[in-house]
Amino acid sequence: MSNSKLYKGSLTTIILKLLNESDKMYGYEITQKVKELTKGELKITEGALYPALHKLEAEGLLDVEVKKVDNRLRKYYKITESGTKETSNKLNELANYIATMQALVNPKFNLE
Amino acid sequence: MKLNETQIQHLYTFTKNHFVEHYDLQTELVDHLANDIEAMWQEQPQLSFEEAKTKAFKKFGIFGFMEPIEQKQKAMSKRYRRYLLVELKKWFAVPQIVITLALFLFFYYTFSTVYVEYLSVIFYIIIAIWCGYKSWQLNRIFKRRKEKSNKKWMLEDMIFKQAGGITGLFLSQLFNVISISDTSLNNKYAILAFALLFTFLVLINYISLELLPNKAEKLINETYPEFSL
Repeated sequence: MSNSKLYKGSLTTIILKLLNESDKMYGYEITQKVKELTKGELKITEGALYPALHKLEAEGLLDVEVKKVDNRLRKYYKITESGTKETSNKLNELANYIATMQALVNPKFNLE
Repeated sequence: MKLNETQIQHLYTFTKNHFVEHYDLQTELVDHLANDIEAMWQEQPQLSFEEAKTKAFKKFGIFGFMEPIEQKQKAMSKRYRRYLLVELKKWFAVPQIVITLALFLFFYYTFSTVYVEYLSVIFYIIIAIWCGYKSWQLNRIFKRRKEKSNKKWMLEDMIFKQAGGITGLFLSQLFNVISISDTSLNNKYAILAFALLFTFLVLINYISLELLPNKAEKLINETYPEFSL
């Protein structure tokens, strides 16, 4: 992940947001999707992704499903009802954070 | 180009060699490595399987699979504790609460007698022996299960092997409590606390060493419905 320290705190929000928008996704797909959306600017590392996914699963925010694809088993993650609620909380938090940083870094854009 | 069956099996062995013991986590990591290798082959078809595998593994960082293993274990312990709590709650509802109360009263009255010192040690020894025996028995069952199937599930591991560990720790702590409170058990509150502690100990041990292992199949299926055992 580039600028990992800055992005690190937002990893769960990113995961939740992506899963909220799609029916189900598997780990590798998430890393690729993030890479694609951010045009390679943000790369989620494998070492950070799976711990985050397992934590969200344990908290009941994600549900899992396994399907046989090609000649192997694939574990999919789906968002649960409480996961959907948590997503909007997290996104609000993130929006506040961005606004605060904006005000600090770029005060001229502040209309007040 | 897609990975063949032998290569997939090779990846399972690879994760095993990198300390991923459990089939549930192995499966997820194998699929991830496989996807990455296949994606690499699209861009560099000349890359050998071994080279691609090494590259894919390197992306997990210097600690390899350690972080995912640790986090998965935490998540699974949480689930195990939840199962334990669900069972424990039943003992405070009708009809089991009658047994819980009887157990508590039994401990309370026996500890109120002058023989408290001997009785507490005797009860302690009985519980410890039973726990030791059960842990040994569960370990044997676990080994036999492993002989039948090569797969090891993380939750299964906890139900059969770690249950004994928790109680062992608990028992060793209780022993300290007993040695400290030998002289101070003439106090009503101390007797009450002691009786509660023993009741709790019996319940927790009974649940983790008897009830949960008996329900192992059901719980494992509930935890991994997706793998349809």
